[in-house]
Amino acid sequence: MRIRSVLGASAVLLLTSASLAFAQTDCKTLVPPSPWGPNDQTGATNRITPAVTKAAAAEIQEGKVVVMSYPLVDGVPLFGSRFTKTILTATSLAPGGAYGENQLTYMEDTWLSQSHVGTHLDGMGHIGRKDCYYNQIAMGKFINQNNMTKLGLEHLKSFATRGVVIDMVKVFQAAGKLKANAACRKPCLDGGTLITTADLQAGLRMYNVTLREGDIVVIHTGWGDLFEQFPKQNAVYNSAAPGIGKDAAKWLVSQKVVAVGTDTWVVEVIPSEDPKEAFPVHNILLTDNGIHIIENVRTDLIAAEAAATNRATFFFSMTVPKAVGLTGNFVAIEGIR
Amino acid sequence: MTQNTAPALREGRRRFCLTLLGAPLAGASLLPARPAIGQERRYTIAFANLTEEPGVTLEGTGFTGGEIRSGFALAARKLPVELVFYDNRRDGKRAQANAEDAIARKVDLYVLYCQDPDANAAIAARLKAAGIPILAVNHPAPGAPLYTVDNLAAGRIAGEALGQFAARSWRGQPTVAVIVGPVEARADRVPERVQGVVEGLRATLSGVRPATLDTQGNAARVGALLGKYLAAHTGAKVLVAATDDATALAAKSALEQAGRASDAAIASHGVDRSIHGGINDKKEIDPNNRGSIVIGSVAFYMDRYGYDVLPLALRMLRGEPVPPRTATRHLFITAANVFVEYPPYDMN
Repeated sequence: MRIRSVLGASAVLLLTSASLAFAQTDCKTLVPPSPWGPNDQTGATNRITPAVTKAAAAEIQEGKVVVMSYPLVDGVPLFGSRFTKTILTATSLAPGGAYGENQLTYMEDTWLSQSHVGTHLDGMGHIGRKDCYYNQIAMGKFINQNNMTKLGLEHLKSFATRGVVIDMVKVFQAAGKLKANAACRKPCLDGGTLITTADLQAGLRMYNVTLREGDIVVIHTGWGDLFEQFPKQNAVYNSAAPGIGKDAAKWLVSQKVVAVGTDTWVVEVIPSEDPKEAFPVHNILLTDNGIHIIENVRTDLIAAEAAATNRATFFFSMTVPKAVGLTGNFVAIEGIR
Repeated sequence: MTQNTAPALREGRRRFCLTLLGAPLAGASLLPARPAIGQERRYTIAFANLTEEPGVTLEGTGFTGGEIRSGFALAARKLPVELVFYDNRRDGKRAQANAEDAIARKVDLYVLYCQDPDANAAIAARLKAAGIPILAVNHPAPGAPLYTVDNLAAGRIAGEALGQFAARSWRGQPTVAVIVGPVEARADRVPERVQGVVEGLRATLSGVRPATLDTQGNAARVGALLGKYLAAHTGAKVLVAATDDATALAAKSALEQAGRASDAAIASHGVDRSIHGGINDKKEIDPNNRGSIVIGSVAFYMDRYGYDVLPLALRMLRGEPVPPRTATRHLFITAANVFVEYPPYDMN
């Protein structure tokens, strides 16, 4: 009897400890609710309605397709301890390895990598505040060893919408405040350069564009030139970044955009405005507002296209796999004009 | 007591008088462009750094002048401030020449970081005559508000942390304490830090009288000095207060070589990058390295001076009172709070 009591008490203690390890926080005090209701796991792609996609289709005028993602290959700059490794399986090419009289051979790949590498999308489950994630979800209750059981990429809707490129290099050049980095071969904003709301608005005015609900904003900083020099400039690329600050992020939220992408690894300015805050723009966009972040976007070609044609808008075409329970994934993006 | 400098007020009076007396004739070009309503005026602030010589560390810590300059540049990003940087090269004459250049440029405020008291006095007099307010960093200048490290307070924090660790972990066991580093380095005011450690230990662990081991600024001497000390105190637990982070790491190595790591705890001063570091840096204080015998280090935040000094400067420029002395808010950084105080952002 006594042993049973002790075991029972131990079990209660164990359960209590487990629940303490996860979901200790009242998420209603840390994260705002989704405007799409308490069950929403989709976030800002809710804004991409058929009407939004149809309106975006008007951007396709010449049929010109502009590449907006970088090659996915071993050696590109990676954040922290991330890695990539590809292994080719080509056994059927060995003598006698072909199949049938038609001598069919095949090859395939093993791709070892974290999901947030190369040009990639941050999903709703990527960034939280303590254990609280988008739409006040206490994620400690919804994770297992393999994936998340809420907020996975499978819940996202289409990204078929209008893209708007904002050329910060041109804005900073026009304002006479461009401080470049010596490692950039083309004009770039230096690491740590803060992009403000006024800068974004100046970039939109440059092409006479007004943001509308459901847009995806792509910011060209020139920092991506360092990515293109991989692996030579990987350390410089990862050491800092030009990017938006908190005020600019809040302004983009007020514009009801769906995603914000840049040619940096982080979208926001690094070092942060407040050295004691860790990636605060990620919290504002993802955690609080369900707005996606797209990192390592190749922006130079679409920025050049905008400059050549004086048109900064395009049809944003991006493939996001329905990867169940994933926090993000590498993506392919094309700007169609 | 506060020191009130009111250039903004003076500027306001000047504008008012000019408007009354001659604006219709003189025209707007006589005055600097007015900011739009709701848009604050931008100020030009000069920062004359102690030295920016690569590798030279300041104030008996592991911070370089380059890190201090970078902190000013980062802090200025959100402020209505244009910065002009000077390098005083630890030279009073150079410092005076820099101040003359700033006067010629008509900067709005001068932040002076110079160790030479005579030069500081001369610079303060020249800037006062030119009507340029001055703010001194770490070394006073006559009539200027001072922003400074508080070595005594920092030392107390380290001493108390060590004493509390011993009381918690080694209760009833024989314990000795030793302060290691350039303990006599008066130019860097390290003796104040040492005094603070003594006071902090006394407050938390009565009966322990710390010895001092003077490395004379050469961390390579820590091994020999501490090795000898450890050999003479074989049966005791050892509290080590290192005056800086490089000394702390050398002390850790010496304790390991002597086979005494399990008998020791180290508290340090500075929290330079060897202590906090980037995400993949080998850093001594890390939530994943809770077993380190370096239990913590007192933050000096010299890489963040700009975040404290520039707001003070702006208060002066707006005519608001500022205290005659503002000290760094030192804090003991451990594995429990290092990612809060220094979130790693360098992702290499």
